[in-house]
Amino acid sequence: MRPLIAALLLGFALPATAMAQSVADLRNDAKTPGDVLTYGMGYNQQRFSPLKQINRKTVKHLVPAWSYSMASNYGEESQALVKDGVIYITSHDKTVAVDALTGKEIWKTTIEYPPETTKTVCCGIVNRGAALYEGRLYRTTLDTHVIALDMKTGKEVWNVKSSDTADGAAMTGAPIVANGVLVNGIAGAEFGVRGFLEGHDLETGKQLWRLYTVPGEGEKGSETWPNGGAKASGGSTWTTGSYDPDLDLVFWGIGNPAPWNPLDRKGDDLYTNSIIAFRPKTGEMVWHYQMSPNDPFDHDGVNALVQADLKIGGKVQKVVMQAGRNGFFYVLDRATGKLLAANNYVKVTWANGIDLKTGRPNWTIDMKSVIESASKISTWPSISGGTNWFPMSYSPLTGLAYVNTLDMGMEYQPLPIEQVQNLKTGQPHYGVKITNIYPESGNRGILKAIDPLSGKAKWQVPFKSANWAGTMATAGGLVFTGALTGEFMAFDSETGKMLWQFQTPSGIIGQPITWERNGKQYVTVTSGTGGVYVLKIPDANLAHVPPGGSLWTFKLMED
Amino acid sequence: MRKRFLAVAFCALATQAAAEDAADKAKIEDGATTYENYCATCHGMELRNNTGVAFDLRRLHADEHPRFVNSVLHGKQAMPAWDGTLTTDQVEELWAYVRANANDAKK
Ligand code: HEC
Repeated sequence: MRPLIAALLLGFALPATAMAQSVADLRNDAKTPGDVLTYGMGYNQQRFSPLKQINRKTVKHLVPAWSYSMASNYGEESQALVKDGVIYITSHDKTVAVDALTGKEIWKTTIEYPPETTKTVCCGIVNRGAALYEGRLYRTTLDTHVIALDMKTGKEVWNVKSSDTADGAAMTGAPIVANGVLVNGIAGAEFGVRGFLEGHDLETGKQLWRLYTVPGEGEKGSETWPNGGAKASGGSTWTTGSYDPDLDLVFWGIGNPAPWNPLDRKGDDLYTNSIIAFRPKTGEMVWHYQMSPNDPFDHDGVNALVQADLKIGGKVQKVVMQAGRNGFFYVLDRATGKLLAANNYVKVTWANGIDLKTGRPNWTIDMKSVIESASKISTWPSISGGTNWFPMSYSPLTGLAYVNTLDMGMEYQPLPIEQVQNLKTGQPHYGVKITNIYPESGNRGILKAIDPLSGKAKWQVPFKSANWAGTMATAGGLVFTGALTGEFMAFDSETGKMLWQFQTPSGIIGQPITWERNGKQYVTVTSGTGGVYVLKIPDANLAHVPPGGSLWTFKLMED
Repeated sequence: MRKRFLAVAFCALATQAAAEDAADKAKIEDGATTYENYCATCHGMELRNNTGVAFDLRRLHADEHPRFVNSVLHGKQAMPAWDGTLTTDQVEELWAYVRANANDAKK
């Protein structure tokens, strides 16, 4: 009952303060389901909604309210945002405002980037979302512009360029607004980018700071690279961090080292494949924790960082958690970065567990033989990881994390060191030979309800093609996600039983959200296949899935 | 004597053919790698054009080599120009890969 009353009260308060969206609104986003202002449906990125009009009983009456064409055949990975009855959605070439109740377009602002831009886009020409604050929408573009648009008109307020395609850079992630600063990351470890995070002034777009994620020569952390860090590269920041306003810390996942081949970068290669915490005002790093030192497998540390209050040993602890690319589910004290739990949630063969004292993985013989003698091995998980960029959700009601996991391994061998010693920025930074290994079950993806502390699944649902979409949990006892074959689905959050599905026109690689307006609950998601699985992993099951982007909103059928 | 001579000659020919086959195969494989690194994002995995955003390269005929090289080096509309990124050899390897999988290729 409580959340409902709070929501109603807020519903009344909103119109008066329509444009004066404030810091408090961002802080309360997860608790105010009338709008969705942040990537992750709240600063904690739980993707959990207190709404329960659509629930285990009523979900069978869920029907489309409208759909809107994204007019594009590129993949639609973006998370929609909702404010005052308007939905805002991004794609690689446009930003759109749509009436949330009717699906009618209000404005559309297109983005033009030079064709060369896509030469350093490894894994899909996409965008994952925006940030909203005080009447403005903030987003990034493939050619690394950071821009602010007026939410009413779509007109550009400011536009600043961050990097060059020649630096191997691209931008696909959603920025966040934290403590009055716009924070965004960069993509491009596959092209040798030197990764960074940066802060921009909300008013003018002026760059306030840049925090490099791999050291320059002689800088702190360079002792973990050969030659004093002279050639340190990678560590991209291509997904979106979460923010704890009480601690004033932003948590961000740092990507893989470049190149993938590890032979010419012996050492831990900080701060690649790490979680870092930093101050949004200054970009000052407060702590870091590295999941995969000296990583040969592209076990990119960028997966969603979800905050929760977990009971550990009888005591409630403020944690940040991640279902890691490398197959382990990490739980850290988010004030200090101390490791509290790390258990595998998928098949893992490169490490026999994580030492909780040192935080380091116990490498298997296989892993050592790659690093020490460039051996060919079969290993799990594959470069795609135990899961990938598509965010998990967490329900404080069930205490479970809902993760679209992957069940794939690979035959792997680094190419001879000479092949990666003289790579130039902008060239592909791979240098490995990889053949995917598919599971005998024929199911490459498994939706799992995972206990964060043990990594064990309470329930699981297999899929032939790996799901490449985010998940969302609700107080209605539901978990929503989408399939690459186009089905948008709702599961019972306690049992995993599929309760509802709807066939959208293309594959789903988006991020579902839910919101309410005038006392009714709605669910919104994009359809539109693409992304790295579809582009680079053969899958006969997807032969008859057409491309084509669209935005869908569902509601309970009226009598 | 004669028989033996023939046999030897035949062997030599076969070896040469096998060597050429192997060279072609290596060229096609290198082309496949370059394709995956630079082209699959738009033209789709294994040339399948499953993205629907680009041109189906399997439609190119054997006599369209000049068109291929020209489009790849100089770009076309949303397709970037690859001059300066790819070497002449890499473009030829790409062509070998495309032709090996062309709709009109003998399989
Ligand atoms: C960013 C997306 C993109 C990438 C990456 C890309 N292409 Fe294209 N390509 C296109 C599009 C779009 C067209 C259709 C152009 C048109 O006619 O409008 C095209 C067309 C072509 C054509 C036919 C052009 C003609 O003569 O009609 C060739 C050949 C081609 N691409 C080869 C390649 C090769 C080889 C690569 C990798 C080195 C590549 N493309 C990478 C988007 C791309």
